[in-house]
Amino acid sequence: MAVDTLVFWVFAPISVGSAIAMVIQRNAVHAALFLVVNFFTIAVFYLVLGAPFLFAVQVIVYAGAIMVLFLFVIMLLGVDRDEPLLERLKGQRVIGITLGVGIALELVVAIRAGIGFATTGPANFDEAVNGSGNAEALSAVLFRQYFFPFEVTSVLLIVAAIAVVVLASRQRRSITRAEAERLRGDAA
Amino acid sequence: MGDLLWLVPALPLAGATVMLFGGGRLGRAAGWIATALVAAAFALAVAILLDLLSMPAEARVLVDDVYEWMAAGAFSVDVAFRADPLSITMTLVVTGVGALIHLYAIGYMEHDPRVGRFFAYMNLFVFFMLVLVLADNYLLLYLGWEGVGLCSYLLIGFWFDRPSAASAAKKAFVTTRIGDAAMLLGIALIFITFGSLDFGEVLAPLGAADGATPSSGTFTVISLLLLAGAVGKSAQLPLHVWLPDAMEGPTPVSALIHAATMVTAGVYLVIRSHVLFELSGTALTVVLVVGLLGAIYAALASIGQFDIKRALAYSTMSQIGFMFFAVGMRFYEGAMLLLVCHAFYKALLFLTAGNVLHGLDDETDMRRMGGLRADMPISAVWFGIGALSLAGIPPLAGFFAKDEIVGFAATSGREIAWLLATVGAFMSALYISRPLFLAFFGRRRTERTAHEAPWLMQAPLALLALLTVGGGIVLGLQAEGGRLATFLEPVVGAAEHGEAFLSDAGLIAISVVLAVAAVAIAYWIWASGRVDWQAFPSRQPELAGWLSNAFYVNTLYAWLVQHPGKGFAHVLTSVDDRVIDGAVNEVAEDVGKASRIAPRIQRGFVRTYALGFLLGAVALLLFLGWRG
Amino acid sequence: MSTPVSYFLVVSAMLFAIGTVGVLVRRNALVIFMSVELQLNAVNLALVAFSRLHGNLNGQVLAFFSMVVAAAEVVVGLAIIVTVYRRRQSASVDDLTVLRG
Repeated sequence: MAVDTLVFWVFAPISVGSAIAMVIQRNAVHAALFLVVNFFTIAVFYLVLGAPFLFAVQVIVYAGAIMVLFLFVIMLLGVDRDEPLLERLKGQRVIGITLGVGIALELVVAIRAGIGFATTGPANFDEAVNGSGNAEALSAVLFRQYFFPFEVTSVLLIVAAIAVVVLASRQRRSITRAEAERLRGDAA
Repeated sequence: MGDLLWLVPALPLAGATVMLFGGGRLGRAAGWIATALVAAAFALAVAILLDLLSMPAEARVLVDDVYEWMAAGAFSVDVAFRADPLSITMTLVVTGVGALIHLYAIGYMEHDPRVGRFFAYMNLFVFFMLVLVLADNYLLLYLGWEGVGLCSYLLIGFWFDRPSAASAAKKAFVTTRIGDAAMLLGIALIFITFGSLDFGEVLAPLGAADGATPSSGTFTVISLLLLAGAVGKSAQLPLHVWLPDAMEGPTPVSALIHAATMVTAGVYLVIRSHVLFELSGTALTVVLVVGLLGAIYAALASIGQFDIKRALAYSTMSQIGFMFFAVGMRFYEGAMLLLVCHAFYKALLFLTAGNVLHGLDDETDMRRMGGLRADMPISAVWFGIGALSLAGIPPLAGFFAKDEIVGFAATSGREIAWLLATVGAFMSALYISRPLFLAFFGRRRTERTAHEAPWLMQAPLALLALLTVGGGIVLGLQAEGGRLATFLEPVVGAAEHGEAFLSDAGLIAISVVLAVAAVAIAYWIWASGRVDWQAFPSRQPELAGWLSNAFYVNTLYAWLVQHPGKGFAHVLTSVDDRVIDGAVNEVAEDVGKASRIAPRIQRGFVRTYALGFLLGAVALLLFLGWRG
Repeated sequence: MSTPVSYFLVVSAMLFAIGTVGVLVRRNALVIFMSVELQLNAVNLALVAFSRLHGNLNGQVLAFFSMVVAAAEVVVGLAIIVTVYRRRQSASVDDLTVLRG
């Protein structure tokens, strides 16, 4: 058994297991920690698939920055209480899980019909594609072929930053009509 | 000068544009600007006239092709203006008389707060009228035709806060529309028949049109459709009902549009298209009958009116009837001479009536006037000149014009027409002397003292009076063969004088004697005080009713059109209420019912929506996989 | 590498499905948001696997862009959750039913 196959079979169950654990975990902080585990396993898969640059980005940006942001917000809001088990929407849980399993099965069938379960990519991927280094090859594609989209993302990030400032600033403002009705309803 | 022809209508258009957008700020200057622009157009027209006169008589045509207006397949119409003896005569009347009336209106409209708008409409009217008479094809003529109708509507309803003015404006617009619709059909038929709308091609001498000549039936239909338009615009039977009501407009408007220029457009149209009418023959007879009947009908109706402006309105209709009568006899020069002279003296009469209204605080009922010559001596002179001219007293303009037409009738071989025309001429003298004597002579029937109009209003009247006195001699003196007639001959052809059953001198004598007799009778009845004319309605209520209501034509139309129309409208209303509104309300109710069901699905839970989203995705994938 | 690419794709599909179920059954807006992140990562994994399959880097570039967009999205999304929580003192999506019919 090749090393990469071994790595896959070790990490794939961890990945799926941590994902399931995240979904069924009632406590938000615990769910977030399981998600971090899952992101790490995905990072490992990137490494196996010949994408060391994305491995690094995944670890730093996702598992690092984004998840810290999540945890920060959870703590800030103090919503780390357990979620009640009672489901108010009738049939939501059963139908949801059924459809989830359904879409998974459909995707697997589609993968089988599309490329089969035995296809491997080109054997010399690292030499032919990554060449002298994945980061260098990726940046060549990014800055030549995808230069304009790359620049657009910078605009996107600035807009997002401005949006957060706007959303986060506390301003006195009038309440909406729906809120007014709600308040009246509470008073009655 | 030919390439400056477009400038003639462009000048008043510029004035109208400026005053429509800036009239409020111009104030009193608006009137002066408007007058100056029309006067400039007149000066330009005179220059073009001199240009035409310098050419040989047969070549007197100037065409100014400004730009291609529209083109679709074989259909092509240019904005092109045409100056020939006929159109330049009309142009000179429109701009010349128009300028004098504008000048008068400066004084007359002095106290009106919307004077800028008034002059904007007046200039716009002059523009459209010039487009009408200068157009080189039927479609451009039609544009001017509709444009003057619009301006007529706007100006009759100028004092729109008076309900009577507003409804009179509507009546004028709708009634003339009937004729206009027929005229548009006629123009379409002209295009189908000739493949062109240009005067040069349509009205080319017979035989110039290539190959097969259309049947005379086609010409009859075209001519009658054009005549319907002319009858509507010129207020002839049976589309005349709008003209008396149109007197609701300011008096300068009545003088310019409803006496001197617009209402004569019908005569111009028929003369312009005389080639078509002659090819038909039948159509000319119809023109003759319509004109003669209208002349006598309107003369009778005028005698029954006590409103000074309405009396003048019927007199206008009667005079235009005489023009149609002349056209029907192929005596186009005579019709044009009457048109020009009529423009002079009718404008004079209307504007003098305006003086009276001005002096008596808008009193129009002649029963409350009388003896005004003491207060308004100058106006009395003007009205006297105008009335005697219309009555046909030599040597005033009306004598030459009317006498020629009646005399021509004697030579045409239609004795009955001559007889009726003579009767009509006699009644003309009677009906026009009546307002003269009722208003200016006889016993005073008002406590008010009229004040004479200011010099600004008298000056244009003096010029018009001069034209009325001298115009006939200059333009129509038979000894020279008639200067206007000679000038017009290249366009309309020479009139064919037949043998009269009386000598010229005898005919003239009959005319003059009858005219003088009519004036004398009028004086005896309405001014001498020996006849109790005020008792006439009570002694002869039937006859007085027929005369003052103009033979109840309005009532007849009410029965024929108004009442069935109202009934039809009621039916339509109920259809609208039950069927159309019913359908709409039903749909609204069903939507309402449906919207009471929808909230059961739309509960506001995001997760429910997400579930639906996923269901769709799963189903779509299943569908794609199943298909292949 | 001898592991078939499709193995990674199957893992990606499973993670995506789990994320989907998470969105549907959880009520805490933050956890739902985390499930969405899981879905995004599953797709990224598929993209990188396809990159490997086709022997070029377009898939990786796309995954990279996806991460940038996800970062922007997380920032704005969390800000919205914070704003909503401030006003309603609740992070449960079932309490946000103002738009019901």
